[in-house]
Amino acid sequence: MPKPILTIKNLTKTYGQNVIFQHLDLTVNEGDTIVIIGPSGTGKSTLLRCINLLTRPNEGQIWLDDLEITAKGTDEDQVRQHIGMVFQNFLLFNHLTALGNVKLGLTRVKKMSDEAATEKAMRELNRVGLADRADHYPGQLSGGQQQRVGIARALAMDPRIMLFDEPTSALDPELIGEVLEVMRQLALDGMTMLVVTHEMGFAREVADRIVFMEKGYIVEEGSPDEMFNHPKFPRTREFLWKITELYGKKEKEAE
Amino acid sequence: MDFGQFISYIGSGTVYTVGVTLIALPSGLLIGTILALLYVYGGKAAARIMNIYSTIFRGIPPVVLLFILFFAVSKGINLSAFWAGSLSLGVVSSAYQMEIIRGALLSVSGDQLMAARAVGLSRLHAIRYVVLPQAVRLAIPPWSNEAAIVIKDSSLVYALGVPEILRRAQLIGASSQQYLLAYLSAAVIYFLLVSLTTRLLNQLEQKLSIPSNP
Amino acid sequence: MKKYLLLAVALILVGAMLVGCASESTSVLDKIQKAKKVSVGTSADYPPYEYLDEAGNKTGFDIELMAEIAKRMGVELEWVDMPFDSLVAAVAGGKLDMSISCFNYDEERDKIVDFSEAYYTTEDAFVVTSAFTGTITEPEDVANYKVGVQSGTVQDGWLTDNLVTAGLLPEANLSRYERVDQAALDLANGRIDVLMGDYVPIQALVTQNPDLQVVYRGVLSTGPINIVLPDGDAELKAEVDRIIKELQAEGFIDALALKYFSE
Repeated sequence: MPKPILTIKNLTKTYGQNVIFQHLDLTVNEGDTIVIIGPSGTGKSTLLRCINLLTRPNEGQIWLDDLEITAKGTDEDQVRQHIGMVFQNFLLFNHLTALGNVKLGLTRVKKMSDEAATEKAMRELNRVGLADRADHYPGQLSGGQQQRVGIARALAMDPRIMLFDEPTSALDPELIGEVLEVMRQLALDGMTMLVVTHEMGFAREVADRIVFMEKGYIVEEGSPDEMFNHPKFPRTREFLWKITELYGKKEKEAE
Repeated sequence: MDFGQFISYIGSGTVYTVGVTLIALPSGLLIGTILALLYVYGGKAAARIMNIYSTIFRGIPPVVLLFILFFAVSKGINLSAFWAGSLSLGVVSSAYQMEIIRGALLSVSGDQLMAARAVGLSRLHAIRYVVLPQAVRLAIPPWSNEAAIVIKDSSLVYALGVPEILRRAQLIGASSQQYLLAYLSAAVIYFLLVSLTTRLLNQLEQKLSIPSNP
Repeated sequence: MKKYLLLAVALILVGAMLVGCASESTSVLDKIQKAKKVSVGTSADYPPYEYLDEAGNKTGFDIELMAEIAKRMGVELEWVDMPFDSLVAAVAGGKLDMSISCFNYDEERDKIVDFSEAYYTTEDAFVVTSAFTGTITEPEDVANYKVGVQSGTVQDGWLTDNLVTAGLLPEANLSRYERVDQAALDLANGRIDVLMGDYVPIQALVTQNPDLQVVYRGVLSTGPINIVLPDGDAELKAEVDRIIKELQAEGFIDALALKYFSE
């Protein structure tokens, strides 16, 4: 029986008159890789920020395991320790080395000793293939390397679920592959992941489920096979066709 | 009066100039940093109060504040001319330093704060370990400017009778009728003090700078 | 301008003092005698009354006189240097026990401080450079020219009240300076035509600079010079006056005048 790690019920977010999304329901089970696709500006990033409580939804509830994290009086800092986030613009701490970036949460939040933190951090950097760049500053790393450090930084906290907010959208095309590879390996290792991306190849190959969002609603969701080959809604078909033409075709040609 | 005596009379005011600066500048830094943090992170009400503070103390000529503190306020607490002068300059500097640090804090992108919170850091820790270290580096060049200003503004305490460089130059100039020499000597000493300070701060900036590949 | 700001501030605090601190009426004389020390303010930029010697020590007519007075009071003398403008407010505010700096009696000052008996009498003088082509026979004639004066002095008061307020001298033609030597510089480079000041220091300037000459000398605004004392302290005034009388009777002050004022 798959165990839900993340449960979202009836989530609504508005900014003044603007409705970003409304009445969203979503469940992510342990070990799932869920990919969210859809046109820009449909609230996908905002949804991720609601999940780790960087923003508060106007209505609805979110559970992490059995804890309702949207309840009043929740310790938000505590909750965020268990939810890892990877940003489109990497957002590494510029004044710290790669090692320093990964260590910060371990020493200041988990209160680990310096040696234990260093050991763990190096392990995570190794996992993303950057152990030899540990003493480099973000300004000395390529975009792809910075993003991998960002992933290591989130992984170091041993989160229950990893959120990826368009992790490769700000990267040069040549550097996208190294990041997607790390993510693919993570999924294979059983990490629970919620990924917002335009990378259709990744979606098709790695996702357990694909969710198509538009205008603040979930239009359709299903397995990659269902979504790409037998979508129920014409809008789904239209969007996937358009975007496959842009991204997916290139992948096919590369094979 | 021979040249050596002349110069050494004026030069012996340096200890007062340095003393006033060493009280005004650090106290301005301490107050300015606390107020800047309140301004940026303390909410709307705090920001409004800080804005008023900034407007008042940047809007009054420092020498006026000196007089108010020395003649009026220190009726209750007996402040010497040196302390009234130094503290007044410290208060004035704190308003300018608050703006410098506030600018530096705001220059560190809000995203840095967000990324820190996403890792699980509390707001306080995020400000302390992620925003402040980056803000410090951004603040050094404008702060170096403020340091130079405080060194030169220290001469204002002459109005309260503190025997610092400028006052000594005035007295010896009037007494010996050699004004040009007196004021030039004073100028040279101030110049040396400011140059030395600027050089030290430049070195600090170099030392703290974050490596990057251009 | 600064003079009025300081007087205003001093008036406020004296008012506060009278209203709030009625219990605080310890005589300054008591304080001086307890501490065995008197703190005296002066602005040592006014030869030959008060200025600095070669070694940078205070010297001059007022300086030596005050040293003798302190000696006869049986206390140590502590000099506090301040710009002339600040001295009266400092005495009024209790920052100084008294001040000697060639002060003339002035009604405005009398509101917030007291004056000792006169210890000497001075005169006013108008001084010009050799380039001056005008005529000054009566003091009021200076209203036709550009005049300089030290700010906050009785000469400043005289010029303001008698010439500027009377409409004879345009405000723009009166330049006020913080110190006499600044005014003398402007006289030398022609920014002002005439400098009005106390005869003795002006004479000292003339001795040093042959280009200058005194065109008028008389008692207009000056006259007696006094020591400035805290307001309302009858005991201190009595003591200081007593010593001044003593010194006059002994010829001490005349000898001092001879030493510093001989032409």
